[in-house]
Amino acid sequence: MPMENDPLPTSEQMTVLVAAFRQNPLPLLVVADGGTIAAVSDGACELLAMPREKVMGLNVADRFLPPLPIDRCLNQKECRDERCRREILPAEGQPVPVEVLCRPFSVSGESAEGGRLNDHCLLYISDTRKRDYEDELRAARLAKLSLLNQVSEALYGANLTLDQVLEAVLICITAGQGLRFNRAFLLLVDDEKNVLRGEIAIGPSNQDEAGRIWNDLAHQPDDLFSMMTSYDQSIKQTDAAVNAIVKNMTVPLDDHDHVLVRSMEQGQAIRVTPDMDLPGVAAIRQWLGCDTFAVAPLMTRSGMLGAIIADNAISGQEITDLDLEFLQLFANQSASAIENSRLYTELERRLIALRKAHEKQKEHQETLLRMERLSVMGETSAIVAHELRNPLVAIGGFARALVRNLDPDDPNHKYATIITEEVTRMETIIHDLLDFIRPQKQQRKEVRIDELVTGTVDRYQGEMQAQRIDLQLDLQSEDSVVACNPIEIQQVLQNFLVNALQVLPEGGRIEVRTRLMQGGVQVEVCDNGPGIAQEVEDKLFAPFFTTKPTGSGLGLTICQQIIKSHGGVIGARNRKGQGACFSFILPLPRNS
Amino acid sequence: MSKILIVDDEPHLRLLYENELRRAGYETMTASNAVQGLEFVETMRPDLVILDIRMAGMDGIEAMQRIMERDKQIPVILNTAFSSYKDNYLTWAADAYVTKSSDVTELVETVQRVLEKKATASG
Repeated sequence: MPMENDPLPTSEQMTVLVAAFRQNPLPLLVVADGGTIAAVSDGACELLAMPREKVMGLNVADRFLPPLPIDRCLNQKECRDERCRREILPAEGQPVPVEVLCRPFSVSGESAEGGRLNDHCLLYISDTRKRDYEDELRAARLAKLSLLNQVSEALYGANLTLDQVLEAVLICITAGQGLRFNRAFLLLVDDEKNVLRGEIAIGPSNQDEAGRIWNDLAHQPDDLFSMMTSYDQSIKQTDAAVNAIVKNMTVPLDDHDHVLVRSMEQGQAIRVTPDMDLPGVAAIRQWLGCDTFAVAPLMTRSGMLGAIIADNAISGQEITDLDLEFLQLFANQSASAIENSRLYTELERRLIALRKAHEKQKEHQETLLRMERLSVMGETSAIVAHELRNPLVAIGGFARALVRNLDPDDPNHKYATIITEEVTRMETIIHDLLDFIRPQKQQRKEVRIDELVTGTVDRYQGEMQAQRIDLQLDLQSEDSVVACNPIEIQQVLQNFLVNALQVLPEGGRIEVRTRLMQGGVQVEVCDNGPGIAQEVEDKLFAPFFTTKPTGSGLGLTICQQIIKSHGGVIGARNRKGQGACFSFILPLPRNS
Repeated sequence: MSKILIVDDEPHLRLLYENELRRAGYETMTASNAVQGLEFVETMRPDLVILDIRMAGMDGIEAMQRIMERDKQIPVILNTAFSSYKDNYLTWAADAYVTKSSDVTELVETVQRVLEKKATASG
């Protein structure tokens, strides 16, 4: 700032200026020709640790090391600032590193050639310790931000499980390279119970442990995975105490005044100091055994996930603004990572389920294909086997006749015997093969008899409505279950129903009843038709007997065979009033 | 002496069954298809019919059905290489079902049993 053309201040102005200069908290000195200190600010007195009267008149050369370039500034026409780094020597204590800006100016100096000469020099002194501290702070911020960045990348990229993510979050909050809290507690929202519940925690339980761990971790590299590894090695076993604490933490989410809930609802980290008394704080202090702590919400766009509580219970260190700021920042990152991991886990679960379903389907398809191939092979072998059977019967049959007719001493007797034996062998092979190929008879299934009856009767609803039949169901088998081939039993019931429908006039009545009996279930189909004529009563189940012009006469015969094959009995009777009843009884399994 | 009608489209089997049944003391006659078999049932009035199931043209089961429609008194034995026919409900109407074997003993014994049963039923 050139001063050459500035008009000289008046003496009043000077008085004010000097007073202002004196009271300046920044360290300022005015040096006159020869290096004598001509004016000093409060800031400079403080820095030199001397009262003003002692500073005045001192030579700057006595207090700055190495000497300041005063000579370069004074007695010059131009006005040029000089900057340098020096150490200042206070009256007490260590030398202080400072940066000095020397700005020359002229009060009364005049050069021989005319114009003004600089005869004074203003020294702006800045304590580089403070600046270095700020630089350090800035560097720490950067380091932490970079760690946060690294952590969030790791949390997103590594497909960690939810537990791993939670663990990583807490490690970063407590690690020396991280947020440097002593202990951290993580609580998650339990939607079902509408509470915030303590999930996991890390941190030492006492000073000794803390010392050991911090020592262990001091030389760890600043990356998440080595931090997690060292966590596994040195912290995990000391977590019992904090994890016992965290398990006790439960906060109802409808307690809106509670410091944790409030922090979550406002999306704001809160620092609780010993003088603060907010709802919920007392409980947390009791859990933690410590007055000062910080809480931070775990929030995502989709809602509240939980909260973090962090404290310095072991070291008793103050929780700074910076700490809180980082906790908040980090909590935001963590919340996204936690949600991400949850979504990922859910996706993975579904993917596995889908993959399993797909594999199963593929397996079924292969089985089907194999079965189809086998079935074609089976059918072919069955045809071949059958075709071989007739010639074998002829060969073996006549060989037997030969054996019978020949004298046992005749060598041909022996040969014919061999033929019969070999044919028998072949027949056995064919028999076994056909038995094997023959499709298995449909397996018997456990069936609720009332359901089977209802299902069968339902198929005839259309016919019954057309014929305006009054259908009465009286099912009282009490949920009895019989082992049967449902298709066959349905066939019997259908036969009964069709017979009844055929003999009934329009508006007739059909009653279907089931009843539990000793060791069995009875199913009965009764009608109010003409009944069974006496002369046909004992031929009803005989094959090819029919009273219908178009009947095969096999219906009831088949029914009888079916019921017999189920170990049951079939019967028919006339009712006392009018009509016929057809019924069958199926045995119940012995254990029921 | 009971008259047995053998219906089978395999000439060698007809010969075999004839031999064996005659040896057992029965009078036999044979038909090479179902239609001829039905004709013989009408004209020769056999006491028992042995029917092969799988034959060209009308099969044994249909033939059985026709025989039973005309005269329910004539017993029918189904004799076949296909044991699977046992699952066909219609075969249940037969008096007996014998799976073909080079050992004709089962067939001969079945004939004997069915005839005895008929004799007791009618007698």
